[in-house]
Amino acid sequence: MAQLEIKNLHAKVNEDGGEEILNGVDLVVNSGEIHALMGPNGSGKSTTAKVIAGHPAYEVTDGQVLIHLDDEEFGDEEVPEELQTWELLDLEPNERAALGVFLGFQYPAEIEGVTMVNFLRTALNAKLEEREELFEGDESEDDEDDEAGYETSPMEGAADEGEIGVAEFQQLLKEKMEQLDMDEAFAQRYLNAGFSGGEKKQNEVLQAAILEPSVAVLDEIDSGLDIDRLQDVATGINALRDEQGAGILQITHYQRILDYVEPDHVHIMLDGEVVMSGDADLSVKLEEKGYDWVREEVYGTA
Amino acid sequence: MSKQVHRTLSESQVTAISEELNEPDWLRELRLDALQSLDELEFPDVIQTPGRTWTDLSKLDFEALVDPEGALEQKERVAPEGVEVLSFAEALEAHESLVREHFGSVVDPQENYLTALQTALFTTGTVIYVPEGVEAQAATIRTTMAGQSLFNYTLIIAEQSSSVTILERQETADEGDFDERYYSGIVELVAGENSYVQYGSLQDLTENTYNYGLKRADTDTYATANWIDCNVGSRLTKTSVETVLSGEASESQIVGAFYGHDDQHFDVDARVWHENEHTTADLVTRGVIDDEARSVYEGVQDVGRDAWNTSSYQRENTLMLSDESEADASPKLIINNHDTEASHSATVGQVDAEDLFYMKSRGVDEHLAKNMLVSGFFVPVLEEIEVEELREDLNGRIQDRLAQRTA
Repeated sequence: MAQLEIKNLHAKVNEDGGEEILNGVDLVVNSGEIHALMGPNGSGKSTTAKVIAGHPAYEVTDGQVLIHLDDEEFGDEEVPEELQTWELLDLEPNERAALGVFLGFQYPAEIEGVTMVNFLRTALNAKLEEREELFEGDESEDDEDDEAGYETSPMEGAADEGEIGVAEFQQLLKEKMEQLDMDEAFAQRYLNAGFSGGEKKQNEVLQAAILEPSVAVLDEIDSGLDIDRLQDVATGINALRDEQGAGILQITHYQRILDYVEPDHVHIMLDGEVVMSGDADLSVKLEEKGYDWVREEVYGTA
Repeated sequence: MSKQVHRTLSESQVTAISEELNEPDWLRELRLDALQSLDELEFPDVIQTPGRTWTDLSKLDFEALVDPEGALEQKERVAPEGVEVLSFAEALEAHESLVREHFGSVVDPQENYLTALQTALFTTGTVIYVPEGVEAQAATIRTTMAGQSLFNYTLIIAEQSSSVTILERQETADEGDFDERYYSGIVELVAGENSYVQYGSLQDLTENTYNYGLKRADTDTYATANWIDCNVGSRLTKTSVETVLSGEASESQIVGAFYGHDDQHFDVDARVWHENEHTTADLVTRGVIDDEARSVYEGVQDVGRDAWNTSSYQRENTLMLSDESEADASPKLIINNHDTEASHSATVGQVDAEDLFYMKSRGVDEHLAKNMLVSGFFVPVLEEIEVEELREDLNGRIQDRLAQRTA
C-alpha cells in the first residue's frame, strides 16, 4: 500500500511574473484506487500531473507532494519506517519514479534512435538502481550508476546486463505487449517516433505496466483514441490496478473512458483547485450538467 | 605572417622528397610548381558571421607546425580480392600512366594554399585501383602519424561498372613528444561510368593536431560516390567533403558526423555541384559539441544551368551539450536550373527539455538520459555506414566520449 498525498499545492509558471496555475490543490490517492480528475481547459489538471512528476517548467510556491510507502512496498526488501514518507518536491523526476510515481504523458516525446526495448530496459534497471540508492543512503554513492547505460549501443541493444537481463526483459515485454494487444514489432521501433496518437497512448500504458508504479498519473490518456484502442488502453489501466495494485489518477475531459475504467472517486478542478469530489456518479452528473453547474454549486454564480 | 612557411621551404627540400620516392619528372615538376605558387594562393574559404571569422587559418603558425623532414608514419593497407591498394611508389611503378592521368584531376594542386603545400610536401599516399567490372568488399587504410607533420594523399580510381567500399582511419602514434602537430590529407575519387564507391573516413588524431582535409569525387555517367566523414579527434579541423556530379544520372550522398569536446574546433563543409541532367545528391550531417568546443558547418548544393531534373537534399543538425559550446551552420542552395527538387535545412540547439523530462520521469537520470539521446542522435548516421568496422569504430568513439562526460 502506498499513498500519494497532495497538500495545498500552489504552483506557477517558472519564469519572472509567471502565471499562478495551482492555488491550493488537495488530493489523496491510495494504491488500488482509481481516481478521475476532471475539469475544463486551463483548470490546472495537467499542471498538477506535471508538478507531481517534477516538470521544470513549473515552480512550486507552497504546499507538499508526499508519497507514503509501507514496509512491504517493494517486495522482499523491507522499507524502514523512517524512509516510508518522502517529500517528492525535493527530489529529481527520476528519483520520484524510483519511489513508484509514474506520469503518463498527454503528448509523449518522440525519441529518435533509441529503441523501445532498449529504453524500457534501461529505465527499469535505472529505477531499481536508483531505488536501492535512495534506501541505502550514501553507502553506494560511488556506484558506477553513471556508467550503467552507455555501454548500450543504440544499434544493437544493451551490452551490459543490469539487474534485469536482456532475455528476462524481453520475456516481460512480450507478455505485457500481448496483454495490451500491441504488435511485437513495436519493441524494435524508436521510442514513439512516427507512432500514431493511439499507439503513443498505448505505449504509455505499456511503460507503466513494465515499471510497476505504486501510483500512476495518466494525463489525458484517452484523448485521440478510437474505440478499439480506447478499450485496449482501458484494459491496460484496469490491469495496473487489479494485477499490480497501482493507484490511478486519471486526468480526463470526458466521461467516455470512465465507462471502461470505473473510478472509485471523481474530483473536479476549477481555477487551480479541487472544488468538488464524489463517487462515479459525479462524472455522470457532470456530463449531463456541464461545468457551469459546478461553478454555480461552488461559487453560487453561473 | 604564417604564410612565411614557404619562405623556409626550399626547392631542394621538395626535390629531395621527390628523389627519395624515386618519382618521375612530371610529378617532381608538379611539386615544384605547387611550391612556387604558394606565394599567390589564398587559404580555403571559411564561414564569416558578423564580427567573427570562425576558423582563421591565417593565424596558424605553419612554420612551427610543418617539418618537411619529420614525416613519420605507420601504414596498414588491406586489399580485397580484385582491388589494388598500393603505396604511391608502388602505384607509380605499376600504373604510372593511370596515376599521371588522374593525379590532380579532381583537386587542383594549386586550388588553395593548403592543397599546394600538401602537393609540394606529401611523403605518403595510397592509390586504390578498382579495375573494370570488379565488385569488391572493403578496402582499408590506416594511417598512424608518428612525426611532427604528415601530408597524406589518396587517389581512388574506380573503373566502369566497378564497386568498392573503402575505410580510411587517421590516428596518432603514442610515441613522439610534440606540442603541436599538423596533418593534411587530400582524397581524389574518380568514379567511372556506372561505378559505385562508398568512402568512409574516421579522423581520430590526438587533440594537439591541426588537421586539414579535402575529399572530392568526380562522377561519370550513372556513377555513385558516397562519403561518410567522421571527425572525432584533432585540436582544429578544417575539412570539406565534395562531389562534382559531372555525369548524367550520377549520384552522391555525403554523410557527416562529428563529436567535439574540450576546446576542439571543427569547421566542416559538405558541397555538391550538379553539372548534368538527372543527378541526385543527399547531404546529411550530425554533430555534437560539448564543453567549450566550437563547430561551424557549411553545406552547398550548387545546381548548374544544364542540370535538368535535379534532386538535391541537405540537412544538418548540431546538438550542443554545454552552455559554453558554440556552433554555427549555414546551408546554401544555389539554383541555376528551375527543373530542380531541392530542400535544405540546418538546426543548432540544445537537448530538448521535454525529451529529457520524459526520460527522467521513467526513472533514467539526467546524465544517462542525455547519453541515450546523443547515442540516438547519431543513429541516422550510423545506419548509413556500410562497412561494419567503421560503424563499430565510430560508435565506440561516441561511447568513449560519452563515458568521459562529466556534466
